Amino acid sequence: MSLLQVEDVGVRFGGLQALQGVDLEVQQGEIFGLLGPNGAGKTTLFNVISGLTAASCGRVRWRGASLAGLSSHRIARLGIARTFQNLRLFNSLSCLDNVLVGMHQHGRQPPLAALLQTQAFRRRETQLHQQAQELLALFQLEAAAHQNAASLSYGDRRRLEMARALASRPQLLLLDEPAAGMNPAEKDELRELIRRIRDQFKLTVLIIEHHVPLMLGLCDRLAVLNFGQCIALGSPDQVRRDPAVIEAYLGGGA
Amino acid sequence: MDAGLLEQMLLGALLGLSVYLPLRCGQLSLATPGFFAIGGTVAALLSTRLPALAGSGSTYPITSVLLEMALAALLTGVLALGLGRVVLRLRGIYLAIATIALVEILRVVTLNLEFTGGALGIFGIPQPFDSAAGYAAFTLALLALICWLCDRLEKTRPGRAMAAIRDDELAAASQGINTADTKLLAFVLSALVAGITGVVAAHFLNSWNAKLGNFDASITTLAFVVFGGSRTWLGPVFGGLLLTALPELLRPVGDLRLIVFGAVILVGPLFFPQGVITPELFKTLKRIMLRPPTPAAQGGKP
Repeated sequence: MSLLQVEDVGVRFGGLQALQGVDLEVQQGEIFGLLGPNGAGKTTLFNVISGLTAASCGRVRWRGASLAGLSSHRIARLGIARTFQNLRLFNSLSCLDNVLVGMHQHGRQPPLAALLQTQAFRRRETQLHQQAQELLALFQLEAAAHQNAASLSYGDRRRLEMARALASRPQLLLLDEPAAGMNPAEKDELRELIRRIRDQFKLTVLIIEHHVPLMLGLCDRLAVLNFGQCIALGSPDQVRRDPAVIEAYLGGGA
Repeated sequence: MDAGLLEQMLLGALLGLSVYLPLRCGQLSLATPGFFAIGGTVAALLSTRLPALAGSGSTYPITSVLLEMALAALLTGVLALGLGRVVLRLRGIYLAIATIALVEILRVVTLNLEFTGGALGIFGIPQPFDSAAGYAAFTLALLALICWLCDRLEKTRPGRAMAAIRDDELAAASQGINTADTKLLAFVLSALVAGITGVVAAHFLNSWNAKLGNFDASITTLAFVVFGGSRTWLGPVFGGLLLTALPELLRPVGDLRLIVFGAVILVGPLFFPQGVITPELFKTLKRIMLRPPTPAAQGGKP
C-alpha cells in the first residue's frame, strides 16, 4: 500500500478552480517532487494534505485511511510535518524553543511532575533539550540555539523550519520551496541535506520547488501541475521529455 | 505605605495576571472583571447569608474564605469552560468585543437581580482579618502561589505551546498543538485567578455591588499588562502594582494626578512597546551583572 494517496482531489475557491481531479500516490521512502508554474496549485495541494484547506471533492488517504475532516494538529500527530513557503517560524522564541515546540507531541509529561520538577521530569526535559540541540546541529544552527528566530538570516530561517518539522519525528515531510532565496552553492548543499535526512530519519519527502535542475537531480518521481491539473507524472527523465510539460513551461509555440 | 494601598496593589497584580494568561496565548480577552465580579458576588452572598460559615470566633474563619474561593473557582471555571468554547472561535478585536459584552451582561444581571442587592449591592461582608496588614499578607501568599504556577507553566510544554500560538496559530497547529484546547486552558486559568481574587476583594472592601465589574475595570486591568509587558508573569505583576499605586501616590498633586496617570499609560507603550518587563531586559541585566569589573572600578593604581 502506498503511504499517501491523493484521489481525485479538487479545491474550489469561489470562482477559482485551484485544483481539479488530482490523483497521485507517494510510496514509502521516496522523494516525490511537485513542479509547476506559479499558481498551479502546488501549495494548495500541500494545504489539503496537511489539513489547512478542505478539499471540495476527492480525498487524501494516509496508509489507506481517509484524512477528510481531520484538523491540522491531528494530521500532524499522524506523522505528517510540513514547512511553509513564506516561513512561519515562532519569531519571538529562540531557535531551541522553536524546535522544542516541534517536539510538542512527544514531550507530554504528567502535570504534577512538571509542577514539582521531579527528577524524572527534569531528566526527560534534559533529554528533549539534547535532542533539540542535535537537530539544530544537523542544520548547522547550534551556535544560534539561544537567538530569537527572527534574528536569523534567511537561509538559516529556512533550515530552522526544516529542523522544527523534523522535531515531530514525521514519516512524511512536506517541503514547500525549501530552496527559495538560496544561492547555487546553498542549493547543492540543500540537495545533499534532504537526501541525508531522508536516509537518517527513514523519511518520505514530498517537495515543491521551482528550480528544475535541483528537482530533476533530487527526486525519485515528479508530478507536474498546471492550472490545478496534474499534466505529467513519472521519473525525472519521463517528465523532462513530456510534451505537455514543455508546453506548460515554454509556451505552446516552442 | 499603608497596608490598605498595598492590599489594593496586590489585588491589581492578581488581576493583571488574569488578563495576562490569555494574552500570552495571543487572545485579547477582557472578561477578567466579569469573573472577578462573579467571585466577589459568590463571597458576598455566602458570607452574609450562610450563618454556618461564620464560625464562633470574633473574626470570620479563614477556612470559610478558602471554601468560598474553591466555590468561586468552580463556578468561574465551569462558566469559562462553556463560554470559552464559543467565544474563543473569535479572533483579535472580535474576541475583545465579545468578552466586553460578557462583562456588561453580568453587570446588568447583577444590577437587576433581587438577591444580589440590586444597585446598592451587598453590605456588611464579614472580616476574616482585623487589619489591612492581615489581608495584605494573605493576598501576598496567594500572589506568590499564582506567580509560581505561572512560572512553571511558562517554562514547560503548555507554556511553550501558548507562546507558539501567540506567534503563529496556524504554524502551531501544524506542529501537532491542539490550539483550541490550549487557548481554552489559558482562558479558564484566567477566569480562576479573577474569581479567586474577587473573593478576597469582597471581604476586603466589606461591600460588593455591580459597579465593581464594569467596562472601566476591563480597560484598567488591560493597561496593567500593556504597561508591564505580556512576555513573562513579572510584567503584569509589575504593571498591576505600579498602576494601582500611582493614582494614590499622586494624590498630593491634586487633580493633576489623572493627567499624570494618563500620560504614564500613554508614554509607557511609546517607549516600551513590548511593556517594561521583557526577556531582553533580563538579558541586558545579566550582561551587566556578569561583565568583568573594569580597571577603574577596581580602584585605580597610580
